[in-house]
Amino acid sequence: MSVLQTAAISIQKRFGRQRLRRIMLGSIPFVVLLAFWQMNTSMGWLPPVFIPPIGTIWEAIYTLSDGCTGASAVLSMQYECMFTNHILSSLGRVGLSLVIGIPSGIALGVLAGMSRRFAHALEPIGVFANAISGIAWVPLAIVWFGTGWLTTLFILLNTVFWLIFFNTLLGVRGVPRVYENSVMTMGGGRWAIITQVYIPGALPSIVTGVRMSMGFGWRALIAAEMIGGDSGLGFMIFVSAAEYKIEEVFLGVLVIAIMWMITDRLLLIPLERWTIQRWGMVWRPD
Amino acid sequence: MSFIKGGGIELVLLIVGILALWSVLSQNIPNPSRYLPSPVSVVLSSYDVIWKGLLPNYIGQTLWRLVIGSAIGLLLGIPFGIALGLNRTVSDMFYPIMNFFQSISGIAILPIIVVWWGNSEKTVFVVILYTCFFPIAFNVLTGVRSTPMILVNALRTLGASRLRIVKDVLIPSAMPHIATGARLGIGYAWRAVIAGEMLAGRRGLGWMIFTAQDADLTAQVILGMVMIGVIWIMIDRFALRPIEADTIQRWGLVQR
Repeated sequence: MSVLQTAAISIQKRFGRQRLRRIMLGSIPFVVLLAFWQMNTSMGWLPPVFIPPIGTIWEAIYTLSDGCTGASAVLSMQYECMFTNHILSSLGRVGLSLVIGIPSGIALGVLAGMSRRFAHALEPIGVFANAISGIAWVPLAIVWFGTGWLTTLFILLNTVFWLIFFNTLLGVRGVPRVYENSVMTMGGGRWAIITQVYIPGALPSIVTGVRMSMGFGWRALIAAEMIGGDSGLGFMIFVSAAEYKIEEVFLGVLVIAIMWMITDRLLLIPLERWTIQRWGMVWRPD
Repeated sequence: MSFIKGGGIELVLLIVGILALWSVLSQNIPNPSRYLPSPVSVVLSSYDVIWKGLLPNYIGQTLWRLVIGSAIGLLLGIPFGIALGLNRTVSDMFYPIMNFFQSISGIAILPIIVVWWGNSEKTVFVVILYTCFFPIAFNVLTGVRSTPMILVNALRTLGASRLRIVKDVLIPSAMPHIATGARLGIGYAWRAVIAGEMLAGRRGLGWMIFTAQDADLTAQVILGMVMIGVIWIMIDRFALRPIEADTIQRWGLVQR
């Protein structure tokens, strides 16, 4: 057996035949797309103003971070490191909105869900808030906070909070009464019911809410940065488009897609699956 | 009685409370007509735009864009998703790229579209189409793919043709996914319409709140936001949700 064959077999053993096949197959459309893109440039079908050559997108990273001296400059967000600054400021907003939005959404959702009469009344308000959350708030947010950090954070938080609040409310409401009563019979207090019954019972719904809020949140954030922001990937795309630097626009779009896929694939989907596996029993007792 | 039992009284009290808090707040801040106009002045501002015929016109335009855009998205997305899902090799091939395009939001590519087609009606339509096509096609593909092989094999054993398998097994079993994808896609499309109107400058509800903010007419901004919320709830409650629920009820059993 040649070295090549041995290597091929060991790779197949390591990663699994089916998975390898799927990865190879899945990369074909991407390769074809890239080939067409490259052909477009070399044949000159569409001018580079519309579709930039692939190489210029890679160069755009260097143009944007021209004068950036290294990791410490990136982390301290010096002005020269524009590319990483935009990524970091978008990510920072997402992180901050999660840090504020998840605890407050869950706390208020559980509180609202504890009284069933109030939960019923709050449901239409949650539906309404979700319906206008996102970009529809941008003009009002600009009036209140001006353009900048606060506006974009407000838009994102608005999207994240209501979805988590609403899903927690629905989750708590869906917890069967039996569990609540049985904890009470055994002498559990209000706090025990919250931590042992409501939150575990509502967890699958809460995690779904978190995943949805990120899906809508990323979209709302990009739009908010375009209209009312002064930094971030959406802002970068918008400004570059206005200056006809289309390679920077393409770069921004690619970064957004990759970042969203990473958060969704590596963080949210496993989290959701794990939660439903671990806590889903409480949710559906039969 | 069901109104009272279902929390109707609490709902009315809550809404009255929110409106009261809003009025008190707007009376106690400086320059309320700029920062937070009272509910009364929001209602009064609607008189002006309705009388001039602007509001109905804007709502009509926005809805027209949504309906046409998502109809084309459905007409293209559903057959496309089914076609890709028919063959396991083909569906394995296209699954990652569909997922990739699904995760690029239409709003993010809007600047590219504006560079390609300028601030025209076409731009808004392309964005709407893009936004709803990929979630729909992706969900249909997932639905067709998740059909249990045992059902397909059962029909094949009984000598069914390819067309028969598609018509009687794959499409019915993908129906719940199709309905969910449609609702998600149209939900994203609705937000894309609003953002597209703001950024591409086409007349509609999104444009109205955007220009009203420029002109310092905050009452009109709030009016537009309320309209956006109310219209979406109506679309969701009376069209999308019942269709989804009915589909899942009718076809969902095939899944198990």
